[in-house]
Amino acid sequence: MRLRLHIWRQAGPDAQGMLKTYDLDNVSEHMSFLEMLDVLNEQLMEKGEEPVAFDHDCREGICGTCGMVINGRPHGPLARTTACQLHMRTFKDGDEIYIEPWRATAFPVVRDLVVDRSSFDRIIQKGGFISVNTGNAQDGNAIPISKTDADRAMDAAACIGCGACVAACPNASAMLFTAAKIGHLASLPQGQAERFSRATNMVLQMDAEGFGSCTNHYECEAACPKGISAEWIAAMNRDFAKAAITSRD
Amino acid sequence: MRTFGELWRSTILTKWVMAITGVLIVLFLLGHLSGNLLVFVGEEAMNEYGVWLRSLGHGTLLWVVRLGLVAIFVLHIVSAIRLSAKNRAARPVSYARTESRKSTVASRTMLLSGLLILAYGVYHLAHFTWGLTNPDFYNQTDALGRHDVYHMVIASFREPLIVVTYLLAMVLTGLHLNHAISSAMQTLGVSHPKYVTIIRRLGVGLSIAIAVGFSSVPLGVVAGIVK
Amino acid sequence: MDLKNNIPSGPLEQKWDRHRAELKLVNPANKRKFNVIVVGTGLAGASAAATLAELGYNVQAFTYHDSPRRAHSIAAQGGINAAKNYQNDGDSVWRLFYDTIKGGDFRAREANVYRLAQVSVNIIDQCVAQGVPFAREYGGYLANRSFGGAQVSRTFYARGQTGQQLLIGAYQALERQVGLGKVRMHTKKEMMDLVVVNGRARGIVTRDLTTGKIETHAADAVLLCTGGYGNVFYLSTNAKACNVTAAFRAHKRGALFGNPCYTQIHPTCIPVSGDYQSKLTLMSESLRNDGRIWVPKKRGDNRAPDQIPEDERDYYLERKYPSFGNLSPRDIASRAAKEACDDGRGVGPGGLGVYLDFADAIKRLGRKTIEDRYGNLFEMYERITGEDPYSVPMRIYPAVHYTMGGLWVDYDLMSNLPGLFVLGEANFSDHGANRLGASALMQGLADGYFVIPYTLGGYLAKGGLDTVYTDAPEFREAAAAAEQKVHTLLNINGKRTPASFHRELGKIMWDYCGMARNEAGLKTALKKIPELREEFWKNLTVPGSGEALNQTLEHATRVADFMEFAELMCVDALHRNESCGGHFREEYQDEGEAKRNDDDYTYVAAWEYTGDTAKPVLHKENLVFENVQLATRSYK
Repeated sequence: MRLRLHIWRQAGPDAQGMLKTYDLDNVSEHMSFLEMLDVLNEQLMEKGEEPVAFDHDCREGICGTCGMVINGRPHGPLARTTACQLHMRTFKDGDEIYIEPWRATAFPVVRDLVVDRSSFDRIIQKGGFISVNTGNAQDGNAIPISKTDADRAMDAAACIGCGACVAACPNASAMLFTAAKIGHLASLPQGQAERFSRATNMVLQMDAEGFGSCTNHYECEAACPKGISAEWIAAMNRDFAKAAITSRD
Repeated sequence: MRTFGELWRSTILTKWVMAITGVLIVLFLLGHLSGNLLVFVGEEAMNEYGVWLRSLGHGTLLWVVRLGLVAIFVLHIVSAIRLSAKNRAARPVSYARTESRKSTVASRTMLLSGLLILAYGVYHLAHFTWGLTNPDFYNQTDALGRHDVYHMVIASFREPLIVVTYLLAMVLTGLHLNHAISSAMQTLGVSHPKYVTIIRRLGVGLSIAIAVGFSSVPLGVVAGIVK
Repeated sequence: MDLKNNIPSGPLEQKWDRHRAELKLVNPANKRKFNVIVVGTGLAGASAAATLAELGYNVQAFTYHDSPRRAHSIAAQGGINAAKNYQNDGDSVWRLFYDTIKGGDFRAREANVYRLAQVSVNIIDQCVAQGVPFAREYGGYLANRSFGGAQVSRTFYARGQTGQQLLIGAYQALERQVGLGKVRMHTKKEMMDLVVVNGRARGIVTRDLTTGKIETHAADAVLLCTGGYGNVFYLSTNAKACNVTAAFRAHKRGALFGNPCYTQIHPTCIPVSGDYQSKLTLMSESLRNDGRIWVPKKRGDNRAPDQIPEDERDYYLERKYPSFGNLSPRDIASRAAKEACDDGRGVGPGGLGVYLDFADAIKRLGRKTIEDRYGNLFEMYERITGEDPYSVPMRIYPAVHYTMGGLWVDYDLMSNLPGLFVLGEANFSDHGANRLGASALMQGLADGYFVIPYTLGGYLAKGGLDTVYTDAPEFREAAAAAEQKVHTLLNINGKRTPASFHRELGKIMWDYCGMARNEAGLKTALKKIPELREEFWKNLTVPGSGEALNQTLEHATRVADFMEFAELMCVDALHRNESCGGHFREEYQDEGEAKRNDDDYTYVAAWEYTGDTAKPVLHKENLVFENVQLATRSYK
C-alpha cells in the first residue's frame, strides 16, 4: 500500500519543529508500524537525509519505550496496543497518517518523536516502592494475599510507563501513571506501611513536574496500552485526601 | 510532617474543593428548583414560600446561606481557574490532530460552560434577586402585601429574550452538570466497578432532571400552563 | 594466564556459606568511601545497584535507555524458578541444581549452579516483599507452573509479564536509592570503553546519547550487567538496542570471553513475515504447558490445519520424548522443529513454522481457563499475525533468544581483570551450554541481590586500591579512542546504512553459526565476516552529527563491535568439536541428538583478545564434576 505520512521533525530540544510530509510506497500489511518507519528511515538515509528519530526497544509492547501520537491517538487507533504492536493491516492504501510526539511540558521533545520522560522516574523516586532492603524479607508465603487482591495489584502494576496517558489527556495529566503505582502497592499488605506517605509524596512530585490535573475525561484509560482503569485515580484521590487530613508523616 | 498549606496547593485537594463545592451547588440547585416548581402550585404557595425563606432564623438564616453560597461559588470558581491555568501550562504545544475516545463535549467545555453560567448567574441575580434589570416586574406586591414573586416570574417569562436566555443557560447548566456530577464522585474517590456505571448514569440523569426542571417554569409560562 | 575460578573448598552444600564467612567485610563507615559503577539496569544491574547502595556504597548506575525500567529483562514472560517446593512435588535445592546442570548439558560449574539454586528461594521472598504481584491461588498462597526441562512445578509467575514485574521491583528499589541520594543515575549514557589502571578495572567511558558528550567516570570497581549478545544475529527476540559493546570493549581491554558460541534458540517464536522484519517475538515457553506441537506427517501438506486428521499429524516432541513431551528443553525442541521443517513438513509461508495447537486444551479446560492463563499472549499473537489462536493453531519457529556465553568470571563473579565484575546474562557462568526456561530471571537477580553484595565487599576489603582520577592518562586515552571511533563512523560517507550491514551480518551468523553448525559453514562465515567488516568501514553511511541524538550513530557503534565479535563466536564454535546444549555441530550427533565429547571438551573456553579477532588465545578452565555423574542428557 501507499501512504502519505505527516511526521513531526524537530532537530533538538530548543529547535523549531514542524510537520513534514513523506510519501511511502510498497508498505506491507504485515509490517509493524515501527517497521514501516524503519523502511522510511532507510530510504531517507539512502538519500542522505537524516532519519526520523523515534524511541523504541523491545518491540513487544512491554518496555514502554515507544510512543507516538498516530492520527491523534497515542499509540494509534487500536485499543490496548502499543505503537510497536500496531500493524499496518490496520491502515489502508492511500491513508494519510499524522505522527507526532507526546505533547506535555513535563515531556520535553528531545528530537523528532523522542521525548524526555524522566519526570516519571522522579515521581517513582518519591515513593513508588516498598522500603525493604535486600535480605529483610520473610518467606514469600508468610502473608497470604487473596487472589483477588493479587490480581488487582497486577492490573495496576501492568503499567509500562510509556506516557500514553499523559499524551492522551487533554490536560497532560499524569494521574493514571501515578495512580497505577500507588494503587499497585496499596492493594498489597506489604504496601500498607508507607501507603499514605507514598500517595502524598508522589502526587506532590507529579504536580511539581508540571503535569496537568485530572478533569475526568477518561482519555487516559482509553489510550493505555495495558488497559489500566481510571478507577485507580479515584482510589488515589481517596488515599491522598485521607493522608492530607490524617497523616502525621 | 507536611503542612496543610503545602497539601492545599496540590491538584488533588484543589479538585476536592471543586468537587465538594460542586456537590453543595447541586444541593443548592435542587433546593432552588423545588422552590421554583411551586409556581405550578400557584401564587399563594410561591409568595408564601418567599416570605418563609426571608423569615428563617428571624431573617438571618437566608443571609447565612447567601454568604455560604458566595463562598462556595468563589471557591469553586477560583479552584477551576487555578486548575485550568495549570492544565493549559501542561500542554503548551497542541496536537495537529486529536481524536478523542472517551471525553465528551461536556467534559471538554467545563471551563467555558462554567464561565458562561457564571455570567448568566450574575444577570439572573440582577434580574430576580436585586431587581436591577427589570425593576417593574420586581417591584410588585400581591394582595397580602407580600413580594409578588409569582407575577414577577410570569411577567419575566413573557419576555421572549428572557426566556431564550434562560433556556440557553439551562442547557449550559445541564451540559456542565452532565460531566460534573459523576466527575465529582470520581474526584471524591467514589468509584467501584459495581456501581461506577450507575453513578455515571445517575449523574447524567440528574443533570437532565435539573436542566429540564428549571426550564419547565418558563416553558410553563410560554405554554400558558402557568398564568 | 592462570585461570583461577576461586571455587571454595568443602562439600558442595557448604561452599557458599563457608565462602561468605571467609570473605572479608568492609565496615559500614568505610562503605561510603567506595565508588562502584554499575553498567546496565536490567534485573542484574538494578538489583545490584540498589542492594549495594542499601549497604552504603556510592553507586553510579548507567543505562542507554531513557529510564532504567526499559531494560530488556522486562520482556521475559514466563516466570522465575525457585526451589521452594511449595507444591510438595519433590523439588529441592538439589533438584533445581541438578536440573540446571543437566539442562546446561554438563557445561556449567557445579558450585555456581548450586549457589544459584540455594539463593533462588531468597529471591522469591525478596520480590514478594517488594510488592511483586506473583500469581496466587485462591487460598492466598503463591502459584506455580511447570517449565521446560523440569518435572516439578517450581516456576513463579506474574501473568505473562514476570520479567516486567521483577524488573519493576528492582527498578523501584533502585529509584528509592536514587531518591535517597545513594545512587547517581545516568540515563541515556552508553558505555563506550572500560578503563584499566594498573591492571584493575577502574572506570568507564560513556557517550551521552542526547548531547554526544564523551565522559569518563572513575570508581573502585566496575560491574557490567549489560545483557547478552543475541542481536549479533540481527533477528532475535532481544530488544533492538541490546548489544555486545560493553562486554566486547571489556574483552578488548583484557577480559576473557567465555563460551561465546553457546547461543540459545528459543523454540516458540512467531515466524518471520518479510524482509523488513526488525525483530522476532517470543511466545512464552509456558504455552507449551497446554499447547501441543505438531506438523503434518506428509511433506508439503498445505491443507488448513483443521483439515488434517489426527492420524496424519506428527506430534513429534511427544513421539520422540514421551516423558517430557512438549516440555522438552529449549535446545531440543528447537532442533526438532528445524528438523521437521528441513524435512519439508514445515507449515506457513516458506515452510518455516510448526503448529502450537491449543484445540485439545480448550476442549479439556474450556476457553476461559486458557484465556486466564495465556490471554495476553494470545492477544499479542493475534496483533502480530492477524490470526486468532483460539480458533487456528499458532505458527511458531525457533529464534535466537539468549546467550549462555559471556565474559568469563570466577566464583565471585569477577573477571580475570581485577575489579571488573560481570553479572546476569553478560557473564557466562551458570547455564552451561543451554539455559532452562525461567532461569535467566533467577540468575540475574541471584547475582544482583545475593551474590555481588558479598563478593564485591570481599574484593574491596582486600585493599590495595589507590585513588584514581579521570585525568589519569588511561582515562584520557580511552576517551580519545571513543571520540575517534565516533568521528570515524561519521566520516566514512559511504552508501550503506548500519541496519543493512547488521542484517547481512545476522544472515551470515544465522546460516553458519545458528541452530546447527558445521566446520565448512563456520569456515565460510570466518571468511565472510572480515570481508563484510572491511566493507563496513569503507561503505557505511551515518547521517547527522555526533553532537545530538543520533540513533543511526548509536546503531553503527554497536554494529561495529558485532562485526568483530561475530568472528570470535565462530572461532569458538569451530573449535568446539562436539555438540552440547545450544551448540549443535552437525558432525557430532546421534540420530539428531547432540553428542558431547566429555573427554576433550569438559571445559570453559575462555578467549583472550590478542589484537586480531580471528586469532584469540584459548584458555581452558576445566569443569570438575564431583557431585553429579556426566550422563547423556535424556528427555525420552
